[in-house]
Amino acid sequence: MYEGVRSPLIYTPRSIGEFATIIARHPQAIVWAGGTYLISRGDYYPAEAKDGIIDLAYMEDLKRITRNDRYVEIGAMVTARQLLSAGRLLLPPILQETLRSMGTQIVRRQVTIGGSLCISDTRYSLSTTLATLAASAEVKFYDEGKVTTHWIPIAKLYDNKGRLNVGEKRILLTRIRIGLEFGDLQRFTLFGDPIRKSRECGIVALHAKRDQNSLSKAQFCITFPGKAFHISKDLESKLSGSALPIHPERVNALSYELVAELTKMHSTISDLQLERARRIFESFLHDLNSQSLS
Amino acid sequence: MKLECTIDGKALTLSVNSNKPLSLILMEDLENLSISSYCRGNACGNCIVLVDDEATLSCLVPAFRIRGAKIRTFESFQRSRQYRDIERAYKAVGSKPCSSCYNARTMIIESILQEAGGGSSKQPASPPSKEVKLDKAKVARELSLNTCQCMDMAELIQIVEIALGYRNRRRRVRRS
Repeated sequence: MYEGVRSPLIYTPRSIGEFATIIARHPQAIVWAGGTYLISRGDYYPAEAKDGIIDLAYMEDLKRITRNDRYVEIGAMVTARQLLSAGRLLLPPILQETLRSMGTQIVRRQVTIGGSLCISDTRYSLSTTLATLAASAEVKFYDEGKVTTHWIPIAKLYDNKGRLNVGEKRILLTRIRIGLEFGDLQRFTLFGDPIRKSRECGIVALHAKRDQNSLSKAQFCITFPGKAFHISKDLESKLSGSALPIHPERVNALSYELVAELTKMHSTISDLQLERARRIFESFLHDLNSQSLS
Repeated sequence: MKLECTIDGKALTLSVNSNKPLSLILMEDLENLSISSYCRGNACGNCIVLVDDEATLSCLVPAFRIRGAKIRTFESFQRSRQYRDIERAYKAVGSKPCSSCYNARTMIIESILQEAGGGSSKQPASPPSKEVKLDKAKVARELSLNTCQCMDMAELIQIVEIALGYRNRRRRVRRS
């Protein structure tokens, strides 16, 4: 034991009500889901956690996956591996691919869905994909004993730098909801290593619905961990309603529009990251064309 | 905090900081020489242990999550039959990982074998009649968890295939 470092108290709530009582008494406590992000921070140990740690591992309510005709709901404490093995039939391919990209199976056993959405630098690709799938999250806000619950679209859960956009209040993300109407074009690409070299990587996801020879709806999200969480409403509206196939020159023009937008809004993205993202976006649109011609 | 767990077959009561990573407990408190991890949770893949028979990065597990758990490090794993399968595969290929990543790589291979139907206490082995085919891309991805460059990926995949063959054969013999 390190001298002078007090061992933090561990609270193990079994229900959301118990969690509310504990967080009201210990507002500065660290909320622990899978812990893969918290434990990898340089200042994690040895360090004092003055208000203790709230371990969510015993909250069975947060470990459920339920499904009805319209949507699937996934508890925040479901691990990436559990979801991948349980959800082969009910999850869209883009989400399965995203889960597979979250490290090896050894890491996926520890990464939880809620935890990966609540970290401060979007290093896990789940938020990017869920934003394109128009998923939403149930977030409970705890403020001086009062609890309010909101369903927040994942696309609005982060600011443009990828930080959680929930203000100063303590929150608990309890579950996410994904609609079961999926488009026929789903693409996901991750470049670089988001865990070991998160500053050099990028995550691109596109989800589009095709209606005969035109795109009826396109949703696109691109993330650079620690730098940007970008959803281009402008590009999305330009793509939605476009006739297929999209002319190669227009594909090229759109990809450079994306680069211009990213450069204008996020100055920290490197040229290499921009070029890779542009090419991936272009390849998505070419895929869309070839799919429409086949 | 005081916590009880079983490490390498020994029932222990440890008095450690509740948030101390398992890798540090093993290295500092128990002086276990079979793991070496200084990545501080950034997944260098050198600290793999079996927690309740599932391969886990011990640098990502805090002390409060190992209450009552059964932990096996390479120290006890190398005395098991499962290890013999992997060791024989190393010999068959004529190549083995370097001394700094040997333990971790062996544990990763064990995790792949379990996932591929080799069986553990949590996951029963698939029936012997059903031969499991390895997805090489998936295996390569799992093996890449350890970043040591001492071995060629093709050789490592070959080792996994051979070890899986040995394990399946041993299971068939045992059942018959």
